[in-house]
Amino acid sequence: MKQKHEHVIETMDVTKCYGEEGTCEVTALNNINMHVEKGSFVSIMGPSGSGKTTLLDVIGCLLKPTSGNVYIDGKNVIGLDDDELALIRREKIGFVFQQYNLIPSSTALENVEIPLRIAGRSKWEAEDKAKRLLKLVGLEDRMVHKPSQLSGGQQQRVAIARSLANDPKIILGDEPTGNLDTKTGEMILNLLRKLNKEEGYTIIVVTHDSRVAQHSDKIINLLDGEVLNETYPNGSREHEARRRKTGRLGYIESSRQSRG
Amino acid sequence: MLDLALKNIFRNRTRTILTVLGILIGIGAIVALGSIAEGIDASVQSSLQLTASKITIMPAGSGLFSAGNDITPEDLELLQGIGGVADIVPVVVAIGPIQFSGPEYIVIGIEPGKTEYFVGENIGMYQGRPLEEGDSGAAMVGRTTAERYSLQVGDSWTVDEEDFEIVGIIEETGISDIDASILVTLEDLKNVLETENYYSVYVIPDDIKDTEKIAAEVEDASEDLTALTSEELARQASQIVDQIRFFTFGIGAIAAFVGGLGVMNTMIMAVMERRKEIGVMKAIGATNRMVLTQILTESALMSLIGGVGGVLLGMGASFLLSAGFGGQISPVVTPMLALEGVSFALLLGVVGGLYPARNASRLDPVEALRYE
Repeated sequence: MKQKHEHVIETMDVTKCYGEEGTCEVTALNNINMHVEKGSFVSIMGPSGSGKTTLLDVIGCLLKPTSGNVYIDGKNVIGLDDDELALIRREKIGFVFQQYNLIPSSTALENVEIPLRIAGRSKWEAEDKAKRLLKLVGLEDRMVHKPSQLSGGQQQRVAIARSLANDPKIILGDEPTGNLDTKTGEMILNLLRKLNKEEGYTIIVVTHDSRVAQHSDKIINLLDGEVLNETYPNGSREHEARRRKTGRLGYIESSRQSRG
Repeated sequence: MLDLALKNIFRNRTRTILTVLGILIGIGAIVALGSIAEGIDASVQSSLQLTASKITIMPAGSGLFSAGNDITPEDLELLQGIGGVADIVPVVVAIGPIQFSGPEYIVIGIEPGKTEYFVGENIGMYQGRPLEEGDSGAAMVGRTTAERYSLQVGDSWTVDEEDFEIVGIIEETGISDIDASILVTLEDLKNVLETENYYSVYVIPDDIKDTEKIAAEVEDASEDLTALTSEELARQASQIVDQIRFFTFGIGAIAAFVGGLGVMNTMIMAVMERRKEIGVMKAIGATNRMVLTQILTESALMSLIGGVGGVLLGMGASFLLSAGFGGQISPVVTPMLALEGVSFALLLGVVGGLYPARNASRLDPVEALRYE
């Protein structure tokens, strides 16, 4: 049996309500219990309005749940103030967005430097590391280009490099391939897989893209703010370890063969 | 993060330039107008040097300047009765036509042997000789007057249709009251003006320490006279100059304030435009305070640039203004004034940027990120 809170991310009974003081007019998340193992690649899927982006925001410490607990790397982030949450986002988490969200007036290099400058590094240290990261994602000959001079795929690679700037443990992606064509999307997916398998980053993405999902270690399916089920496209030892009840509809296993 | 702030404000170059210009013009106004006040102060300070170690007797109720020649011979007798006095120097004054930069000339009637008390000890003559006992129809002039009217020893000068011959030109003293003066004998001027009265009387104490005492004695002895020590004159002058400073600063400050509103407006717009970006910054790990500091730095930077530019503009303007004052007053931008200008600009920048900076720091990252 695994100890509690050993997973790199864990939510317990997390609920998020929106409404007038105290009332719950809209329930975005209802009693979510989920966890992510260190070094795994997890997809969160579900129809529009299922709460997947909200869940990602909660895991990413951007959104405080109405109730429940969230553990990042074993530490409960509930009750932390804005500054403490910002620190966790800075040190432990890297974000990748569907629309890349790069600073348009800064070069690729400058964009990757930003998290390092926020962390207090000097201009030279930041530049140095940013160069290495851009090299890692294959953009060393595009460093002084501005986002408007880069293709969608290139911009997303810059965004990924930026997310790695402060050596996070976790990379969170909100539909990272959403704005990209099939071929480019596949390239980004491969980059993420490489970061996961070769560099050991834990990766959690919200996605509609079935290809991304197929290559995940685990898929968490949400419906109407609750966990519908968790599936394991490629088999998993967790699947064999134990059973856990989640949400109202229970836990369903899937034992499809690995696609490799 | 100063380089980032610099980069950010020049993202929209035109808008930044206009904003900076708003501050620049306002600060320029403060500095240019302030330089006039400082010039007046410098002029007054130099004039005050004349009053050192003397007691200036004026008609009661007048301050630095009297309305006319109103001290009677009886008043003079009273003064002559006061103890501890080394000398009494009555003076009569005639003022020439008033111009923009002051009266065209000031003629002072003074006893020939006592001109030293007015002109100063150890001041010699540039040309010719000083007034002497027995002179009639003679005048001595200061360097500035001589130059302005191209006067040489031997030329003649007319006051109220009486001619005076220039017998001497005083060497330059640096004090405009002296350099721009024309001195004739007391008797001559009294005759020309057809008056028995005096404009003011200088009382020279035996001992400088008795100045206050003698001044008090005079005031007790006569209702018609007021005795001004140099401290008293300095105090009054300082009050007037402060009022002028306050006034000139006030006008300039109103202009600068409008510039400050411009800064606030620019930053409010910038924050609105960069909403998503601010959300991303927070997602990446920037704290609320970092965002606040970033915005505040940008607005302070713009204002600082405007402030420095404004001081330079003010300096240029004050240089041009000095031509208009014709030498009576030289507007001067003192270091203090320059510092005030830059500081006020900085203040406007910080205060103006505070509201948008706080708003930016309070943006909810989730909302800001998803902002379209």
